[in-house]
Amino acid sequence: MKYLGITLERPKIGVFGFTGCEGCQLQIANKEETLKNLFNSIEVVNFREISSDGCDDYDVAFVEGSITTESEVTRLQKIRNQAKILVAIGACACLGGVNNLKSRFPLSDVVKEVYGMHPVDTGPVRRLQDVVSVDIDLPGCPISKSEFEWLVRNLVLGIKPQFPQYPVCVECKQQLNSCVFDMGMMCLGPVTRGGCNAICPRNRFGCWGCRGHSEEANFESLMRILRERGFEDEHISERINFFNAFNGIL
Amino acid sequence: MSKPPDFNRQTILMQSERGFKSEIIAAIPLTAKEKLFHIRICDPCERENFTFLPGQFIMIELPGCGEIPISISSSTSNKEFLALCIRNVGKVTGMLHRLKAGAIVGIRGPFGTHFPMEKMTGYNVLLMAGGLGIAPLRAPIYWANNHRSDYKDIIILYGAKEPEQILFGYQFEEWRTIYNLNILTIVQKADKRWPGRKGIITDLFGDIHIEPDNTFAIVCGPPVMFKFVCAHLSTLGLPRQRMFVSLERRMHCGMGKCCRCNVGSTFTCLDGPVFDYWTVMNLKEAI
Amino acid sequence: MLFKTITKENFRNMIEGIMENNEVIGPKSRDRDTKGAKIYRFLKLNSFDELEMDYTRSYSSPKNYFLPFKEDLATYDLRDTGWEQEIRYTIHPRIIVGMRACDINALLKLDQVMLKSQYPNPYYSARRRNTVIIGLDHEPLEDCFCRSMNTDTAFHGFDLFMTDIGEKYFVAINSDTGYMILNRFDSCEVGEEDQLLYKEVRGRIESKFKTQVDITIVPELMDLEFESDVWKRWGDKCLSCGSCAMVCPTCYCYGIEEDIDLNFDKATKRRFLYSCNLLDFATVAGGHNFRPEAHIRLKYRYYHQFRGFVEAFNQSLCVGCNRCGKACLAGISPKAVIDDLIGTEKR
Ligand SMILES: Cc1cc2nc3c(=O)[nH]c(=O)nc-3n(C[C@H](O)[C@H](O)[C@H](O)COP(=O)(O)OP(=O)(O)OC[C@H]3O[C@@H](n4cnc5c(N)ncnc54)[C@H](O)[C@@H]3O)c2cc1C
Ligand code: SF4
Ligand code: SF4
Ligand code: SF4
Ligand code: SF4
Ligand code: SF4
Ligand code: FES
Repeated sequence: MKYLGITLERPKIGVFGFTGCEGCQLQIANKEETLKNLFNSIEVVNFREISSDGCDDYDVAFVEGSITTESEVTRLQKIRNQAKILVAIGACACLGGVNNLKSRFPLSDVVKEVYGMHPVDTGPVRRLQDVVSVDIDLPGCPISKSEFEWLVRNLVLGIKPQFPQYPVCVECKQQLNSCVFDMGMMCLGPVTRGGCNAICPRNRFGCWGCRGHSEEANFESLMRILRERGFEDEHISERINFFNAFNGIL
Repeated sequence: MSKPPDFNRQTILMQSERGFKSEIIAAIPLTAKEKLFHIRICDPCERENFTFLPGQFIMIELPGCGEIPISISSSTSNKEFLALCIRNVGKVTGMLHRLKAGAIVGIRGPFGTHFPMEKMTGYNVLLMAGGLGIAPLRAPIYWANNHRSDYKDIIILYGAKEPEQILFGYQFEEWRTIYNLNILTIVQKADKRWPGRKGIITDLFGDIHIEPDNTFAIVCGPPVMFKFVCAHLSTLGLPRQRMFVSLERRMHCGMGKCCRCNVGSTFTCLDGPVFDYWTVMNLKEAI
Repeated sequence: MLFKTITKENFRNMIEGIMENNEVIGPKSRDRDTKGAKIYRFLKLNSFDELEMDYTRSYSSPKNYFLPFKEDLATYDLRDTGWEQEIRYTIHPRIIVGMRACDINALLKLDQVMLKSQYPNPYYSARRRNTVIIGLDHEPLEDCFCRSMNTDTAFHGFDLFMTDIGEKYFVAINSDTGYMILNRFDSCEVGEEDQLLYKEVRGRIESKFKTQVDITIVPELMDLEFESDVWKRWGDKCLSCGSCAMVCPTCYCYGIEEDIDLNFDKATKRRFLYSCNLLDFATVAGGHNFRPEAHIRLKYRYYHQFRGFVEAFNQSLCVGCNRCGKACLAGISPKAVIDDLIGTEKR
């Protein structure tokens, strides 16, 4: 591959899963028709969804899921040591994601509730960046295939990817959606990182913040707006903490 | 009903939208971060017709990567190629630095206002540059040399961070002797091997004599520099309309459409980048 | 200007006739707000019945049919060290029904920038010239302040402009295309009675403006009150969400992004509409942001609307539709901000 005379290297990549639903990994593996092009530009050396034999010679590691056990910590550190670039993919890896629900209850209760009489070794939910240094966060729950491919193109070109700094509202308005606030619903779009094409408001759901908060989001103003519109703090807090995207501002 | 009669009217595509295909004919490293690119418009006819004035800029595009504004850093009479001095700071500039001679890029322009060299006839010209600010000054310097008898004394003051970051130092001797102009440099930080002056550019004012009634000034560099330099020149009595600065803003079109280069009530790409200092003072938050 | 009338029945025939061969865009409703009121937007119509001639205000302006939110400017075939560029900017002709006077005036302002300036924009021009505009009068809403902006009536910039005078529409004709379209369907000459009815309707419309914004000294105030804490007060509420600029009929600023495909042999240059309220609007390489704070960005949105554009074109950019005020969750509207600005001046 060449770009304006520059020879482009095909990066070797590995895809790894931790505590998550594998939805993000599936996003990468699905849509067969584009897989061929994808494999033209990258060399997949370790990806369980595609092939069972994996090797440990990769440059870029895409890591899904959050970290809950000590054995996961060790495994992640090994990946970090190997990879030149470590990309956290999906809300679980970037934010803690839905797994984070667990952190809102005392750990012993959770263990009992989930594992009953057979408690296992499980710790608090941690984002990848709480355990190792992360180079790039690819947000979303799940991630979108097109954004993943865009990221790959940037990696191949050797460009640092620039994610939108603006909130979801921009793209929401561009879809000519009705604002779900007008329809009496709550939405975190004004403080959530854009780039998803406002897929939830487009389907008349408020945004839950799966892409993390937008740059310099004005939480104070949003809280005022939510309260003015009669939303209860309990309801707000449930929404805001769902993906752990807002550092528990309420 | 059939189609109404005057539907699908043609509109004309301007060259300012299409741009010129151009070839990089040389990429010369100057310092660790800056390279000088010689770029030649591919089509001989377009190349012949391409003219610009000192201080104007072009938009340079790498298809699939991005498009950025860059000042033209060569002589207006050079019909062979355009020289662009580019610092590697990000996406597009980083990719440009990886390109080799032979690569094709797109350029649009020239855009913007220019240093009014014609108005300066009969005056002394004082050119002041900080860091990369020397790049847009090369065009007026060449111009002044080509019309040397039009101007009285020409003085260049150039400030850089360190000796290693001085750009075009290899030309200074030629400028001094052949172009007959005075050039003084100063650096902020240097070890003992640096024989020249240490300090900031305003320190050089002590070394030269400025006749406020007879001088035009051109200032190019970071915004803090404008502030101090222009304030100093004003106290000397130089009218603000005889000081010219070149502003930098984010740009996406170069044609007054995207608004990204908005400064106060106007746009840097249309009414700038070269502004006289009186106008700058009148524009909100220009510096 | 020429005038005619057309019965509502014939108007229906006309739109249905046009629809056979052309794309027709008009206001239609999809959702309802909490009070049960319909929310309208300009969309492609599939039948005449979808067109809601009694609509109040479209949530977003129809500007996106002239300046799309996203638009490919050029595509490239990359090969070896070079490339070929292809530019396509033609569109299929289309018709927009039901545009308000303010929206038509907004287009006239965009024309100043996009057509009548030093660098005409061919993409906009292709859309503008190949779109037939059928305007429609209405009684002003509570918060419309187009009267103050002098944009409550449109005298040009459209093909046909209709006023409901009961049984019929009173139609102003402003282009050959409009004249031809109207002539293919049964239209009538304007009778004395029609003229009376029209005057009466216009009078009624004019008497119903409730909101006024005094903008006479606003351009000066923008400079005088540049450091005013009015900006901080409103800016602290601002979410920097860009909704105001997206729905606004006159905000036109944009960004350019380039993209490349996975085989690295095709590239696209794309324009996307932006907003000066967004954080990185004025960020340059190295991370320096010329407008780092929300209140500074908000101030500049007003500065461009009410000061910068005045300097360039002798008129405000804003047409007083208050869409931005409606869309802003934080309750920031031109009326409120400007009243506040004038207030501090008097205090
Ligand atoms: C009139 C003018 C003349 C210039 N002349 C020169 C020159 O001679 N030499 C030189 O090295 N640099 C010059 N610059 C600065 C140069 O344009 C930026 O360094 C360049 O845009 C950075 O692009 P990037 O993609 O590498 O950086 P990134 O940080 O990756 O920027 C991403 C995008 O942001 C925009 N952007 C970022 N910074 C700027 C900026 N300063 N101005 C405009 N757009 C920006 C561009 O669209 C760019 O593609 C000039 C700028 C202006 C306005
Ligand atoms: S629905 Fe949500 S994302 Fe869309 S405009 Fe309203 S607040 Fe913003
Ligand atoms: S709208 Fe919000 S919750 Fe939905 S995909 Fe986008 S960021 Fe995630
Ligand atoms: S003024 Fe309102 S709509 Fe505009 S960016 Fe600020 S919060 Fe968003
Ligand atoms: S007011 Fe702001 S958002 Fe609107 S066109 Fe001007 S710069 Fe763009
Ligand atoms: S009222 Fe708001 S949305 Fe309407 S034209 Fe003025 S600035 Fe734009
Ligand atoms: S660069 Fe687009 S308006 Fe100046």
